[in-house]
Amino acid sequence: MSLNSSSRSATSNSNSKRSVTSNSNSNPSTSGNNSCRNNDKRNRKRKTDQNQKTLGMAWGANSRSSSRSAFRNSPFPDFGSYMVMKNQKLHQQFDADASSSSVSGACSGKPIFDGVSIFVDGYTVPSSQELKGYMLKYGGRFENYFSRHHVTHIICSNLPDSKIKNLRSFSGGLPVVKPTWVLESVAANKLLSWIPYQLDQLASETKKQPKLSAFGFKSGPVLDDLEESISGQAVPQSGIATLRTSCSLEANIFGKAECTEEVEECHSVSDDPFHPNAAESADQAPTYCMENHCEVELDAAVVVQSDAGYHSHISPCQDPKSDHNDCLEDHIIEESSSSKTIRPSTTGHSTLSDANFVENYFKFSRLHFIGTWRNRYRKRFLSSANGFKDMNPSRNAFATSQKTTIIHVDMDCFFVSVVIRKHSDLKDKPVAVCHSDNSRGTAEISSANYPARNHGVKAGMFIRDAKALCPQLVILPYNFDAYEEVADQFYDILHKHCNKVQAVSCDEAFIDVTDLRVEDPELFARAIRTEIHETTGCTASAGIAGSMLMARVATRIAKPDGLCYIPSEKVDDYLHELPVKALPGIGHVLEEKLKKKQINTCGQLRLISKESLQKDFGVKTGDMLWNFSRGIDNRLVGVFQESKSIGADVNWGVRFNDLNDMKDFLLKLCKEVSLRLQGCGLKGRTITLKIKKRRSDAGEPVKYMGCGDCENLSRSVTLPMATDDVDVFQRITAQLFGYFHIDARDIRGAGLQASKLESADRNMRGHEKYSIRSWLVSSPARKSSMAKGKGDQLYSDIGPPVQARGSFSGGEAYVAHRATLPALHDLDVGVIESLPPEVLSEINDLYAGELISFISKKKEKNAGNNVMDEEQSLSNPLVPPNKDFVHNVAEKIKSSEKEDEQYINKMIQGLPETSGSVTALLPETDSLMPSSLSQVDSSVLQQLPEELLADVLESLPAHRRPDFMSNDVYLDHIRDQTGAIDFLPSNNLWVGNPPRWVDNFRLSSCQLLNRIAVLYNKSSPRGQFSSVLQLIMSEYPLDDGGDDAVNCLCELMKQYIKLKIETDVEEIYTCSCLLRRLTSRSELFLQVYNCIIPHLQAAVGETYGGDLNICFIE
Amino acid sequence: MERKDNNQAKAPQGEAARILTEFLEVAITCIIFLKGVYPHGAFERRRYMNVVVHRARHPQLRDYIHSSVNGLLPFIQKGLVERVVVIFFDNEDFPIERFVFKVNLNLSYGSKVEQSDLEFSLRSFLIKLPVSESLTKLLPRGCRWEITAYFRALPEASTSKDSELIWIPTDTKQWQQPPLITPIKSMNSEPLGVQLYLEHPSLSEPKP
Repeated sequence: MSLNSSSRSATSNSNSKRSVTSNSNSNPSTSGNNSCRNNDKRNRKRKTDQNQKTLGMAWGANSRSSSRSAFRNSPFPDFGSYMVMKNQKLHQQFDADASSSSVSGACSGKPIFDGVSIFVDGYTVPSSQELKGYMLKYGGRFENYFSRHHVTHIICSNLPDSKIKNLRSFSGGLPVVKPTWVLESVAANKLLSWIPYQLDQLASETKKQPKLSAFGFKSGPVLDDLEESISGQAVPQSGIATLRTSCSLEANIFGKAECTEEVEECHSVSDDPFHPNAAESADQAPTYCMENHCEVELDAAVVVQSDAGYHSHISPCQDPKSDHNDCLEDHIIEESSSSKTIRPSTTGHSTLSDANFVENYFKFSRLHFIGTWRNRYRKRFLSSANGFKDMNPSRNAFATSQKTTIIHVDMDCFFVSVVIRKHSDLKDKPVAVCHSDNSRGTAEISSANYPARNHGVKAGMFIRDAKALCPQLVILPYNFDAYEEVADQFYDILHKHCNKVQAVSCDEAFIDVTDLRVEDPELFARAIRTEIHETTGCTASAGIAGSMLMARVATRIAKPDGLCYIPSEKVDDYLHELPVKALPGIGHVLEEKLKKKQINTCGQLRLISKESLQKDFGVKTGDMLWNFSRGIDNRLVGVFQESKSIGADVNWGVRFNDLNDMKDFLLKLCKEVSLRLQGCGLKGRTITLKIKKRRSDAGEPVKYMGCGDCENLSRSVTLPMATDDVDVFQRITAQLFGYFHIDARDIRGAGLQASKLESADRNMRGHEKYSIRSWLVSSPARKSSMAKGKGDQLYSDIGPPVQARGSFSGGEAYVAHRATLPALHDLDVGVIESLPPEVLSEINDLYAGELISFISKKKEKNAGNNVMDEEQSLSNPLVPPNKDFVHNVAEKIKSSEKEDEQYINKMIQGLPETSGSVTALLPETDSLMPSSLSQVDSSVLQQLPEELLADVLESLPAHRRPDFMSNDVYLDHIRDQTGAIDFLPSNNLWVGNPPRWVDNFRLSSCQLLNRIAVLYNKSSPRGQFSSVLQLIMSEYPLDDGGDDAVNCLCELMKQYIKLKIETDVEEIYTCSCLLRRLTSRSELFLQVYNCIIPHLQAAVGETYGGDLNICFIE
Repeated sequence: MERKDNNQAKAPQGEAARILTEFLEVAITCIIFLKGVYPHGAFERRRYMNVVVHRARHPQLRDYIHSSVNGLLPFIQKGLVERVVVIFFDNEDFPIERFVFKVNLNLSYGSKVEQSDLEFSLRSFLIKLPVSESLTKLLPRGCRWEITAYFRALPEASTSKDSELIWIPTDTKQWQQPPLITPIKSMNSEPLGVQLYLEHPSLSEPKP
C-alpha cells in the first residue's frame, strides 16, 4: 500500500489514529485514485473561484436565469444585448421624465446632484422610487442596474454580511452611502460630502469598544485569560537561543538549564533561606550579572553534569566562579526536591521540568488571586448575600420614593499597602510590588504606592524604567496570604456595617446604605474607614453619592486616603470639569472619537443631544454617554455576580516532549478545574478545551517561555448532566484533545473551561426543585407562614431526615440517616400534615411509603396524641432549637477556623443523642471545610461518631481525599453496620445471585415491584434486565406503584447502566427501548424513563463519546 | 477463511486476538456488502462459524481488508487498539456513517482460549448484522469508505517494518458534535469483549 503523502495534512502526524484509505469506485489503494481525487478538488476549487468572480456581476443581471428560456423567441440574440437595450430604454425614460419635470418647472430644484448617479440596493427609507424622484428633481441620475461606468454612489441602508466581506467585488470601489445623504443634501440644497454618511457597517469596522462591564465589574474568566500574560512576566531571554544551539542537548536537560538561569531572579524574590546569598549574587556580583550569557551556559553545563554525567562539557566552562555555580546548583537541587516551592521558577519554568507546574502556576499568579478571590468571597459571605437577595424586591418598591445613598470604598494601592502595612519605615518611601526583582529589570511592576507614583512610577512599567525614574524605589514581592487576610477583614467590616454590599474586586466594593437610614453618611463612611485602618493597617478611600457612578467619581477625588461626598445638587459641578475618560465605559477609541468632536469634559458632552449621541455612537453607547455625563446611573448595588464559567488556562511555560506529557498536563488541568468547581459548589455541563498551537512558521517566542504566535483551537462538548468529577473531565478532555490531532511539541498553551454551570446541590437531587434542602435554606422567608414553635417541633419530631444534608443520593449517607429515623408512631401528624406536599412526599419516601397510610390511620384517632407529642418534644433538651441556633454555631465556627473540629467534637460530646442534628451544621460549614484532610487532625476525626464522620468525609472535595488513611475503611465500616435492611437504594443492588434488588422488591409493599421480582425469576436469560422488561411487556394490566416505586426502579436502572455500560451497551439500549415502549402503557414507566435518560446519556457520553439514539418522551 | 500460522498465538490473548482479527475481517466484509458500496456480484457466499457470510471476490478489495485488519493484529495483541471503525464518507470526506467495533481484550486472562468458546458470541454479530440494515443510513452515490483504528496510545515506533508501511493518516473529517449511537451487538466474555455500534452525525451537526 502506498504512502498517501500528497493529501496528508501537516498536523496529523502525531495523532493516534491510523488508517488505510480506499476508494470505492474501483480499486482501493492505487495512486491513480489519489491523483483523481486531487483533480476533483482542483476542479471544485476552480468552480468556486468562478463563482466568486461572478458574484459581483450577478446582481447586474439577476433576471438572467429566468429570462434565458424566453430568448429563443425574442428579437435579442442573447441576454447581454437585451440588457443593453433595456438600460438604454430606461435612460431614455429617465431623461424624458427629467426634462418634463424641468419643463414644468414647478417642482424642479437646483441641480445639486449634477454628475451624481445613484444605484439603490435593497430596502431603503425613503424608498428607491422616492430617491429616484429626488434625483430627477435635482439633476442627478438613477440607475436601475448596477454598472461601474454609470453609477457614482451606491445607496443602501443595510448590507448582508457576504457583501460586507466582499465589498470590493460588490461596490467596485464606489462609495456606499446611506439614503440620508440624499435627503440631507436636498435639505441643505447643496451636495454634501458623502463621507459622514458612509454605511455604519463599513464605518464601524474598527475594534469594538470595551463595555461598561469590562471596566468595573471584572469577571473571573477574563482575568484568567489575562493572567498568563502578566503572571508569566518572565524575561525575554536572548541567551536561550544561543544556549539551545550550542548545547544541543535533549529538551529535558534544557528545561533544567532554564531553571538554573532563573535562579538569581527568583531567589531575590522568594523568602527562602538562601535569600541573602542569592540576592547578593545577583546584585553585588557584577561579573555574574554582566556575563549572563556565559553564566547561563555554565549553569546549564553544571546541571547537565549532575543530571546526566556530561563530564566533558563542564571542563571548558570552569572559571573562578565555579564555586559559586556549585552553590547555585545545590540550591536548585534542594529547591526541586522540596515539594513546597516558592515560585514556579524555582523548580522549573515549563511543564517539562516541573511536575507540579499547573498547581504552582496558579499559586503564584496575582491575577489568579484576584480571579479566585471572587469564589472565596462568595463562600464566605454567601449567607449575607442570600439575605440581601431576599430584600432586593422590597428595595425596588420604595427605591423611587427614597433617595439612595451609595458608598464606594476602595483600598489605596492595595497590593503595595498590604505588603508594607507592618513596615512603618516603608510607609513614606516609594514602594512597588512585582513578582520579581531581578537585575535585568525586565519584570513589570504590578502596583506602586503613592510616593512612587509621584515619581512617575506606574503599574505595568518595567522595573528598569521605574528605577530610572526613581532610583530609591523599593521592590517587594507579593504576599498572597496577607492579601487574602486583608481582603477578608475589609469585607468583614463592610458586611458588619451594611448588608448590601456589591464586591467589585478584592479591594473595592459598593455599599448601599439607603435602607439603613443613616443620618450622616459622611460620618458613617468615616467610621468604616477608621475601622478598616485600625483593623488592617491599610488605608481606604471612600466616595459617597446617590449613584454608583458618582460614588466612584467621588472616590477618585478622595484618593488617596480621603473621603468625598457628592450630594445630588453638586453632581453637576463635579461632572462639569471631569474628563470624559474618567467615566466608566469610555476607552481609548471612544475618547479619541469624542476628542475629534472637541469633547474633553463631561460638561462639553452634556451639550450634545441624546439623539445625536445615539446617532454617532449607537443607541446604547449614546444613551450611556448621555446618562453618565449627567451623573445618572440607574444601576442598583446588586448582588454578587455569579460567574458564567469556571476554568483554568495555562499559556505560559507550556512545553511538551510527547503525548504522554500532554496527557499528564491535561489531567492536572482537569484536577484544577474540578477543584475550582467543587470549591464553588458548582458543576458544569459544557466542557471546552482550548489549545494554543504554535504556528508552523513561528520560532521561539520573544517572551521567555511565552506562547508566541499561536493558532487558537477550541472544542467543546455538552454533557447531558453537569459534572465536577475529575475522571469525567479527564475522559472528555482526552476525547476533545484527540480531535485536534496535533503534535504535542507544537502546543504552547492549554485551557479547560466548564460552563453552563449548575449548583452542585440542586444537582444531587436531580430535578426536584423543592427538595428539603432548598426548603430549609429558604426557611427564613417562610417563617411567617410557619410559626416558630411549629418549626421547633418539626426539628424534634422528624429531625434527622429533614436535616440530612442535600446528599440523599449518596448511598452511605442515606443509609446512615435512615438508621436514625424516628419510629413512625413518634411523629406528630399535625406537623406532618402542615408540611408542603413536596417535603411530605420526600419524608414519605424515607418511610417507604408508609407515612401516608399512617397519617390517615392516625387521623381517625383522637387529637390527644398531638398534645402528648408536643410535650415530648419540649421535654427533649438536646434538640437544636431553631435555625438561628444553627446559624450561631456556624458563626462561631467561622470565627475560629482552627478550632472547628474541636468545636464539633465538643458539640458531639455535649449532644450524644442528636448526632443527626449536628450534621445539619455541615451544610453551613461546608465552605469552611479545610481543603484537604491533611490539614485535619485525624485523631479528632476518629473520635467522631460514624455518621458525622461519613458526612465530614463526604463534604471534602473528592480527589483531595485519598491522602486520608482510613477513609474508605470507615465508610465500609458504616455500611456494614447499617447494612441494606430494606430496598432503599444501596450501591450494590445488582450484587449476588439473584441480585439483591430481587429480594428487596419481593418484600416491598408495592405490587408492581413484587411482580417484577417474580418476573425476574421467570426471565431468561437470567440476569438480563431486558428479559425482565420483555416479560413486563406481556403483563396486563400494569398498576402504578407510586413515587417510591419510581425511585426504586430509577435507582435499579441507574445501577444497571453503571454495571453494563462498559461491556454491554446493546443490553442497555434494549432496556431503554423496552422502557420506552412501556411508557405508553403506564405513567410510572414514563417517569422512570425520563428520570434515567439523562443518566444514561451521561454514561454513554463518557464511555462512547456520543449520545444514545433515544430521546425524551413528553 | 484460511488459517494463519499459530506460532505467535501461544499466549491466550494472542489466540483471542487472532480470532478477533479473523472475525473482524469477515465482519467488515459483511458491512461493506451490507452497505452495497460495490455491486453484489463482487461478493461470493461463504460459510464462516457456520453462518453464511460474504467474501470479496476482487483481489484488491479482499487484500485491502485483509492487510489492514491483519496489520492491526500486533497492536490488538498488545491491547493497544481501542476501536476499529469502518467509516463511510461522501466525496467531501464528511463521514456519513461509522460502524464501530469497540474492542476490549483482557490481557491478564490466563487460561487457553478456544475458538469454539468465542464462536457462539461472535456468530451472533454476523447474524445480527444483516438484519440491522434498517438502522443504517442510505449512502449517497459516490461515497467511499475506509478502515480506521483508534489506539489507546500511540504505538512504539516501527514494531515491524512492513506493518509500518501500510499505515497512512486519514483525510476523513471529524464530526463537530458527539455522534448519535445505535448499538447493534455486544458480547462480553472473559478473554474478549466486543461492542458493535453505529455512529451517525448528531442532529445538531453542522452540515458541510
